[in-house]
Amino acid sequence: MSSYLDRYGRNRSLCHRLPPRLKLLLTFGMVLAGVSIPVRYWPAHGVLMSLVFIGHSIAHVPLPYLARRLAIFLPMVCMLSLSVPISQGFAAGWEIMAAILFRTTLSFVAMLWLVNVMPFDQLLVTLRRLWVPEIIVAMLSFMYRYIFVLWDEMDKMRVARRARSFGQVNLWRRWKSAAQLIGMLLIRAMERAERVHGAMCARGWDGHMRTIDDE
Amino acid sequence: MHVPDGLLSTEVCIAAGVISLGAFGYSLRRLKDSLAERTVPMTGMMAALIFAGQMINFPIALLGIPSVSGHLMGGVLAAVVLGPWAGCIAVTLVLIVQCLLFADGGLLALGVNVLNMAVVGSLGGYAVFAFVRQRLGNGARGTLAGGIIAAWLSVIAASALFSLQFGLSHAGGELFDVRRLFALMVSIHSAIGVGEAFITGSVIGFVLAQRPDLLYSADADGAGGVVPRAGRAVAFGVMCALAVAAFVAPFASSFPDGLVEISERMQFSKLEQSRVLLFADYDQVLPGWQKLSVSLSGIIGALAVLMIVFLLDRSLRLRQRAAAADVPHE
Repeated sequence: MSSYLDRYGRNRSLCHRLPPRLKLLLTFGMVLAGVSIPVRYWPAHGVLMSLVFIGHSIAHVPLPYLARRLAIFLPMVCMLSLSVPISQGFAAGWEIMAAILFRTTLSFVAMLWLVNVMPFDQLLVTLRRLWVPEIIVAMLSFMYRYIFVLWDEMDKMRVARRARSFGQVNLWRRWKSAAQLIGMLLIRAMERAERVHGAMCARGWDGHMRTIDDE
Repeated sequence: MHVPDGLLSTEVCIAAGVISLGAFGYSLRRLKDSLAERTVPMTGMMAALIFAGQMINFPIALLGIPSVSGHLMGGVLAAVVLGPWAGCIAVTLVLIVQCLLFADGGLLALGVNVLNMAVVGSLGGYAVFAFVRQRLGNGARGTLAGGIIAAWLSVIAASALFSLQFGLSHAGGELFDVRRLFALMVSIHSAIGVGEAFITGSVIGFVLAQRPDLLYSADADGAGGVVPRAGRAVAFGVMCALAVAAFVAPFASSFPDGLVEISERMQFSKLEQSRVLLFADYDQVLPGWQKLSVSLSGIIGALAVLMIVFLLDRSLRLRQRAAAADVPHE
């Protein structure tokens, strides 16, 4: 599962070497432009879209990866935008639907670019230097650290469950066991947080996170 | 569930962002008082848990499509375990990471997502939870029932809020009718909410049986009880208003004049066009089937939620009895 996160963040390319703040700004600008330019200026949208894809190819993000992400994203957005004409009785709302489809796709691909050129640790350092309060960055880094631990734990519990129950079980059982899985995970996570907090206190934790890049 | 960029207008995104930022800042301040230096590990771990918990799929055999599945939203769950302030922050962190790490949910729309899921889900959800728990006598049954009902209402409130935001974003289009979208969204989400209610209820029941001390209690942190009562009342009011509006609105023939007057005084030029649509007589525009579907789905959803409360409460008491019977053997 961890292969989904920061997958191409370690690539070496022009895009990856850009200053982190510029990356954030570029993405933000792209999303803002895509959202605020009216749909009737469609050539501008075409230019933006091709710019985003050029960015992806410079960053060496493989096309199959993009296609896979879009294959998950597009059906959802299609359904959502289709709900406009459906709720209007197929008489109106088609224009809104087209605008939504185009804008969301553009913004999504632009966000994917940011995700793939900015590893999470770099993002945290950038956020620290911007206006984000220290405690938020500390919580974010703590969260990022333990996502992987909890995923591993969850996988273990899943394997154990599958070993205990042979083959298919009915829907009700599956719901019940999935809910119990989360409950168990919650108890373990909270106990772990207490232990970790104890260990942090033993090492002089005073509510401030210190990192190597502190000058 | 996450609102991507491009769906809502920039103005709506900014407005929602300002509200979310305010709620987030206030939660952070309250949190520093109550959890002190335990804040970072507890909230961070809760956020990681919700993030991981959302990876667990709940299969829905809807219409014979086997691959459809839903997952936990977690706002109410986080609030019940950590309290409203930490819960709101934990869900916000989850949304930030999903946005910046998965491109799940938009950058501009982050404020909207935080408002719909973290602020309404955790702060509003906790208000409902606290109310129900108090009414049922602050016991295990009240905790369970409160969590289940709050989870269901939080999903519906989020969908109602989203319809409102969507309506405000596209109010310029003359043929566009918000209420039809509203009817569609609310009927769908009262079913989705039953799933959320079941998951939240089962997890709370599980924790109640195993480690009830892990759940947040307002008395435990000294300052928690007194001050937030006003805030809680406001959050509770807003939440209930949203949920009630979702089901009662189709029946109402007209809104009180005050609301119209306020919207006139605010002079939203965009709103002006849709004002007629928003506050006109419902009977004229909303067809019968939509009225029926909204109220029917509300009734069915409420019945399902009550059944979940009953079933989980019974299984909890069985489990507690079994645990009590085990003690002498130790």
